[in-house]
Amino acid sequence: MADAELKQKVEELIAANPILLFMKGTPEMPRCGFSMRVVQVLDTMDVEYGAVDVLPALQPLREVTTEISDWQTFPQLYVNGELLGGADIVEEMFDSGELAEALGVEQPEAAPAQGAPSQSPPLQIE
Amino acid sequence: MAADLGEIEAMIEAALPGASVEVIDETGSGDHLAATVVAPQFAGLSRIDQHRLVKAAVKARFEDGTIHALSIKTEPRG
Repeated sequence: MADAELKQKVEELIAANPILLFMKGTPEMPRCGFSMRVVQVLDTMDVEYGAVDVLPALQPLREVTTEISDWQTFPQLYVNGELLGGADIVEEMFDSGELAEALGVEQPEAAPAQGAPSQSPPLQIE
Repeated sequence: MAADLGEIEAMIEAALPGASVEVIDETGSGDHLAATVVAPQFAGLSRIDQHRLVKAAVKARFEDGTIHALSIKTEPRG
């Protein structure tokens, strides 16, 4: 059974923020690869979003989101009050253009930054 | 305790009759799995609901600690 007060706070946050990300860490310093992937996608979309670090209250928040959305794992991206998904779904929807549609923005031309070392220019054989 | 990939596939197939299911061990440790599921039941559902169906099918193996992580890729089949 989730903490009623915390559940109410979470519901208020979801209602007040059209795009809200529950994540491990902060957008500036994600503490989990899955959370980082969602942050990278959102940054690529160039949208404003609210972010909640779940780490200080991981277990109580898990219980709350289980009751609200039947979903236990983080990150969780909420758009207009509905859970859109975690990292897998967000990336898949980004690739297909569905995310841009859900967020009401234009699909950016560039792919999300991957954090991997940048590639050397293509090598040419003369 | 490693998951039995065949059993996980069978659980998903039982929950979604007619589905094509492939489960792989992502890390070699047997508890971080990735499932690709193509099912007629997904038609018209949001992705989150598609994933919920798959997660619900294998819930027992999460609860007994056999699986720690399951990454899911779903596709409706028309």
